[in-house]
Amino acid sequence: MTDIPNRAKEQKVGEGTYAVVYRGREVSTGRRVAIKKIKVGQFKDGLDMSAIREVKYLRELKHPNVIELLDVFSSKTNLNLVLEFLDSDLEMIIKDRSLVFLPADIKSWIAMTFRGLEFCHRNFILHRDLKPNNLLIASDGQLKIADFGLARDFADPGYKMTCQVITRWYRPPELLFGSRYYSSAVDIWSVGCILAELMLRTPYLAGESDMDQLKTIFRALGTPTEQEWPGHTKLPDYVPVGQFPKTPLRDLFTAASADTLSLLSKCLLYEPRKRISAKEALHHPYFIAIPHPSHPSKLPKCSTQMAPRPLEEVDGNVDMASTGPGVKAAGPNKSKLKRKITSPMEESRARSIARKLDFTKQANSP
Amino acid sequence: MSTKPNYGWLQGRTVKKGGHASSNSHTRSTTPQIQSTSSTIFGGGIKDPSGRTSEYFSMDDQCPVCKSDRYLNPKLRLLVSTCYHKMCESCIDRLFTLGPAPCPIPNCKVVLRKLAFSPQTFEDLGVEKEVAVRRRIAKEFNKRAEDFDDLRSYNDYLEEVENIAFNLINGIDVEATETRIKAYKAANAALTSLNLQREEAEALALKEQEELERREREARAAQLAQQEQQERDERLREEQELINKLETSQKDAHKIVAKSRSAAAKRSSARAASSNANSGLLGMAFGADYAKLLKTRTNKVNNNVPDEPHVPFQDNYYAYDDLFRLLPGGYNDIFSDAVRKDREGIMRAGGYRVEEAWQRALLSAVAGLDAMPLSGLETESILPANDGDVVMNSV
Repeated sequence: MTDIPNRAKEQKVGEGTYAVVYRGREVSTGRRVAIKKIKVGQFKDGLDMSAIREVKYLRELKHPNVIELLDVFSSKTNLNLVLEFLDSDLEMIIKDRSLVFLPADIKSWIAMTFRGLEFCHRNFILHRDLKPNNLLIASDGQLKIADFGLARDFADPGYKMTCQVITRWYRPPELLFGSRYYSSAVDIWSVGCILAELMLRTPYLAGESDMDQLKTIFRALGTPTEQEWPGHTKLPDYVPVGQFPKTPLRDLFTAASADTLSLLSKCLLYEPRKRISAKEALHHPYFIAIPHPSHPSKLPKCSTQMAPRPLEEVDGNVDMASTGPGVKAAGPNKSKLKRKITSPMEESRARSIARKLDFTKQANSP
Repeated sequence: MSTKPNYGWLQGRTVKKGGHASSNSHTRSTTPQIQSTSSTIFGGGIKDPSGRTSEYFSMDDQCPVCKSDRYLNPKLRLLVSTCYHKMCESCIDRLFTLGPAPCPIPNCKVVLRKLAFSPQTFEDLGVEKEVAVRRRIAKEFNKRAEDFDDLRSYNDYLEEVENIAFNLINGIDVEATETRIKAYKAANAALTSLNLQREEAEALALKEQEELERREREARAAQLAQQEQQERDERLREEQELINKLETSQKDAHKIVAKSRSAAAKRSSARAASSNANSGLLGMAFGADYAKLLKTRTNKVNNNVPDEPHVPFQDNYYAYDDLFRLLPGGYNDIFSDAVRKDREGIMRAGGYRVEEAWQRALLSAVAGLDAMPLSGLETESILPANDGDVVMNSV
């Protein structure tokens, strides 16, 4: 699996608490990749948990709306994950005030999110950290769920899960109340918050602390009654935070269509078991109603790249057609173009890979 | 009514071409200004967006009733009846002052009233009629695409509206059509008025946006004027300074001139830079900019790839859906016994679903059933999707 000389690190793109992300490319194909180098030395007790989770779950998931883990290799004491390179995330797009969202754009993003999430849930994996920051956007506009550092599979009956997951603003009330037994509904709440954020262009439920988060939620959606959410008062960390009246969503989302608000309210239901599932959400009339979701290639994109391109890439043999923000899907002629400009030695390698791909395609198609 | 028709031509009196000239003063004095009364009497007609009615006017105009034409009566004004026949104002006065009367055109028995005449906008009365009918229909039938569940029903609705308009324009089954309109009106009164409000709101928003843009333009112009004034003042001062310096100092005159020139150049470039920055700020400051962005965005959208309707799943979901079915009553397994009893109710409150665990167990059991066994490395690449229960190749 490890084939180190096949990749060239190019530039540091970002640094997290437990990993550094580099941009690189596969030498053989010229495809841009992100290399996530996980700092192992720092941790006395071996690998960081989130790295293990990320590898464990991403290896099993392959879907257009989930980030693809291409390879894992180790160099020296480090563990390296090779991921698809995606140049922006939804948070950057939401914050870029020069972009305008049409209702169809929001619909398209949410549909892609639900599709990716449904795939995770179908494979019994909870993401547990959905937020605009973790929804990456490919150059062709496809949205991909990333960062499976907090993901886990569905718990067996009776097994506890931690409630300290999901970024606070996107955390559902049952986790804030300390529930240790929960299900896919926690991710749906996050998607609801993201949908609201896409419309408002600012985080919908932005609490300053966990306590304040509950208050913020109740202020926005009203304090739940025992009828609305049976048993919530018995949850481990339950504390009454005061009574707030229910205000209709329409008051805040004045421009949203009725279907949008219907889906939003179903994602933000207090009782987790009644909350809409990803599969049901994909069949919600919101997605079927006019306007149709925007074609991914037409979605607004960040004009600014994350970092300036290094010089050698411009005169190197990397194809310029594949990744520029203005270029839409490169499709099949991508490989053709590449063969023309790569050196003869690489050419043979690229050809062998292409032939292999063709072979699998033929085998699959009938 | 005080308007007295101009029968000059009937009495054999010659009316000169410039009818309102001195020789014609007699007719004029007895005939009050038509324009003054007409605006109050004859409303309606086709209005352009600014609210004005532009009237069709031709030198060949002739009243089909009295055969008076523009040569005989330069003030001839033809108006259109509700049955789309034109006649001149004097005929209207003559025929309808005493109350409703039938249309004087042969074979048209429609009873007309004086107030129901309207100015003519289009040369062709067919167009006139069509525009009026369509205007009326559009007011009643103002449903929008988003009021319908799917494209098909919207298209059906549009077709129906088109049928009604066609019938009215061409006078086919007018009565039946009218009853159809009435029925529709009764059924959709609420939605119609809602859409009317929406349209008004949109028009208002558009107006506001235009106002905003105008104000921004004005602000920019004022800023520019101010800048120019400043520049002029500065140049004057500089010249004065230079003259003073040349007068008083002992240095070489050439050097002094060169120095002041370079200083001036520096200043002007600094000014240009700051004004650029300013205009950028001004542009981003207001919602007008946002509106502009929205406009370019919608324009861009139109000439690109079409939006496809939503498809819930783009992968082979259903391939795995019919492999098994959960028993509706659930399963009595010992592992989930406590969870199912859920004495404290925390499972339910937290949203835990034991069904998901069962589903997972069942899927794990059956998903690999139809997978071909692997035999050797050669076949591995042929069967990428079938090598496990959880990995699902979805491409």
